[in-house]
Amino acid sequence: MNVPDRDAAVGSQPADDRVGGDDHPAPIIEGRNIVKRFGGAVAVDDVSIAVSPGEIHGLLGENGAGKSTLMRVLAGVLAPNEGAVWVEGRKLDPGDTRAALDAGVSLVHQELSLVPEMTVAENILLGSTPSRSGFINTREQKRIAAEALEEIGVSVDLDEPIARLSVALRQFVEIARAIARKPQVLILDEPTATLTPAETTYLLDMLQRLAGRGLAIIYISHRIPEIFAICNRVTVLRDGRHVTTVDIEDTTPEGVVEFMVGRDLQLELETHRVDPDIGEVVLSARGLRAPGVNDIDLDVRAGEIVGLGGLVGAGRTELVRAMIGADIRTAGETTITRDGITKRIASYRSAVAGGVAYIPEERRTDGLALSMPVVDNITLPNRHALSRAHVLQSRKIVDFAKHLAEVVNLRPPEIHRNVGQYSGGNQQKVVLAKWLGREPEVIILDEPTRGVDVGAKAEIHRLIRELADNGAAVLVVSSDLPELLELSDTIHVVRDGRIVGTLLRDQADETSVMALASGQTKVDAP
Amino acid sequence: MTNDTSTGTVSAPKPAALEEKLEEQAFKLSAWMANQGIFIFTAALILFAAVFIDGFVSLPNITDVFNRAAPIGIVAAGMTFVVISGNYLDLSVVAQVATAGVVLIAVSNETSIPVAMLVAVVIALAYGLVNGVAVGVFKANAVIVTLSTTFIGLGLLRWATGGSIYFGPSDGAIRAFGATRIGPLPLAMILFVVVTLILSFVLTRTTFGFMVRSFGSNREATRLSGVSTPWVVIGAFTVTSLAAMLGGFVLAAFSNTAVSAMSDGYDFRALAAIIVGGTSVFGGRGSVLRTLLGVVFVSVLTNIMVLSGLGFGIQQMAIGLLIVLAVSVDALARKATGA
Ligand SMILES: Nc1ncnc2c1ncn2[C@@H]1O[C@H](COP(=O)(O)OP(=O)(O)OP(=O)(O)O)[C@@H](O)[C@H]1O
Ligand SMILES: [Mg+2]
Repeated sequence: MNVPDRDAAVGSQPADDRVGGDDHPAPIIEGRNIVKRFGGAVAVDDVSIAVSPGEIHGLLGENGAGKSTLMRVLAGVLAPNEGAVWVEGRKLDPGDTRAALDAGVSLVHQELSLVPEMTVAENILLGSTPSRSGFINTREQKRIAAEALEEIGVSVDLDEPIARLSVALRQFVEIARAIARKPQVLILDEPTATLTPAETTYLLDMLQRLAGRGLAIIYISHRIPEIFAICNRVTVLRDGRHVTTVDIEDTTPEGVVEFMVGRDLQLELETHRVDPDIGEVVLSARGLRAPGVNDIDLDVRAGEIVGLGGLVGAGRTELVRAMIGADIRTAGETTITRDGITKRIASYRSAVAGGVAYIPEERRTDGLALSMPVVDNITLPNRHALSRAHVLQSRKIVDFAKHLAEVVNLRPPEIHRNVGQYSGGNQQKVVLAKWLGREPEVIILDEPTRGVDVGAKAEIHRLIRELADNGAAVLVVSSDLPELLELSDTIHVVRDGRIVGTLLRDQADETSVMALASGQTKVDAP
Repeated sequence: MTNDTSTGTVSAPKPAALEEKLEEQAFKLSAWMANQGIFIFTAALILFAAVFIDGFVSLPNITDVFNRAAPIGIVAAGMTFVVISGNYLDLSVVAQVATAGVVLIAVSNETSIPVAMLVAVVIALAYGLVNGVAVGVFKANAVIVTLSTTFIGLGLLRWATGGSIYFGPSDGAIRAFGATRIGPLPLAMILFVVVTLILSFVLTRTTFGFMVRSFGSNREATRLSGVSTPWVVIGAFTVTSLAAMLGGFVLAAFSNTAVSAMSDGYDFRALAAIIVGGTSVFGGRGSVLRTLLGVVFVSVLTNIMVLSGLGFGIQQMAIGLLIVLAVSVDALARKATGA
């Protein structure tokens, strides 16, 4: 099929022959000629990668390029079909997670993998719980956990259950868990996708500190500036193949993106221009209160994109969920206006029936039925339009799903494949596709491009602008400041469940939003 | 696509290419086994029985297998909805089958068959509503809830009947239904197939069935897609209850008698049929047609054991073993598909 001819004996070349130049110290970890197939499809196709102690190695590529798969092979989570992983000159048993851990390879997964009901300490030691003759040694467990947290400079109560932590803190606990195993190689798969700028800066500093002490780090991110801030070298993958490995001094952000997509990508930073005679208020909240939400008044007009800025944990997700009735509210009222008729939003279902689309923050738990194919996920919110007398119309459904898969540029565009088998960024596209088909009048997006690559991100931004231009009222929550600034006509900054300031497009920049978000200034709405 | 090896050219494929092909075949085979395993196993079992088991291929035996398979099959077909909705199983089918059987015979002896059926329908709807509301609205665990309703239901039934056996009139319509057959096919078996086809249509092609499957795959994502999830659960339990009622009718008609203990073991036999058929206990994946195959498999297996003179204890053990096996395969398959 699409497998290139390969007659060279696999894995027999000397190591120095591989990527990189002679001026790099001996690598501590090497993946040699890794091939990983899922069924007939090749996810990683003959890729080699080598990383030295003290090096931060960036790994880049579009959604579905094979980054996570390659890293899971390096960490022994997946057994490669061909090729092998070498650590300190020794070959690891393929697909043996234990052996990889013992050799000092720790992976922080793209999707959080903590047990929500267990405490911070229990999670950090999960899988390597210290015990004496079958009894858990709690004191030892806490000592190791505290040490790991201290190493990354994060303070959090060891006895707190994970479920009560913010997404950002969970991410740091996840890293502490990797650190607790005293790794020589630390692999991070999109660790900053859930973090705000301040937290990201903290994480990046921390990684540089760890690398300074001789740790080898492989770092995956779709945010190019991060790569240029900390990486020494980068490897770019495209369609499962190795494109290039270069020293960071020898390339530019544009150059890297070009390697990723294989063409010159015009990243228009074109902002949304709202109509001067702006539409009427469609979505409105008055005196809204809910757990984590304090007395919110908020209006979103037809044709307008309203952004909610703030730190993770400021209450933005809680706010939008309470607004549309997805979670309980304790006081206040929200309304939706269509064709001049204003209706109270009594329940989440009435909101959906009234034309609201909601793209939740957590795609795997709230957004998708992972064990079902793409087509079924897309059908779910559109089932009324796609059925007659409660009987589903298969042909119509397939056409509908194919069209939407094309609109969001799903790759590969196989609508009968289970969503769980898609890469993270492509799963996010399916969540968007689910709702786009309804041509919603109100659309609420919570972190709409988390884990989505640069090209697809620009595409999604274009779609959001298009929805607004066609008269939809759009409410966006994003911790990605450039995204928030690019999209929003108006930005409300939220802190402690309150709107602490409102910035119009020409007043908003990274500094003004962050100042409000962290409580350094108070700007009143004009 | 690359089937040009059959043209007879002498060039041997390169080792790597050959390996790849073998691997691809192995993958296809395992996927096929996971999905279609039940087809082969059922066919193999029937073939085995036909060749090695004395008395398997005889009209009376085959009719007997069908007669026993029909009631359990109808119950299992309905219960497939609860399993796919991710609520494990409905244990209370034991109480429901017995109640429906007793009501059919006892009430029709006093009044008429239509009245008896109407009473049974009302009881079935009540079961569906109680189980469904407890699980769907109050989010209680389905196993605990239906275990409790089994106790309530069986307790009520025993109290009302005092454990006595009810006999239908020997010239009544109930007996006629139980005794009629077309060739080796009892009417009950035809009813089972019809019920399976209808429920299969509901599950695969209607919005209700679609919501049941999607709820079983991810409840929160289904709720956030604007589905009224409590109604989905109530619906799934009600389908199960109505099927259990039909199963009770058929079981009572088969012997023209009814007693509160007539449906012992129906919960696990139905579950065995469902998961042996390949429906996942994790919810979201499966079908009613698979359950039909599972029923055939379990029934033939039981029949083989009976014909071989193996006692009830061994039969029970075998069913237990079968469930453990099927559930383990299910868990493995789930891991392999990356869901
Ligand atoms: N369990 C699986 N079964 C089948 N295909 C899979 C499976 N896991 C991954 N794939 C496929 O392998 C390819 C590479 O996926 P991978 O997750 O490595 O991409 P990625 O580069 O990490 O993308 P992203 O930036 O979106 O996270 C994709 O085409 C994906 O659909
Ligand atoms: Mg990935």
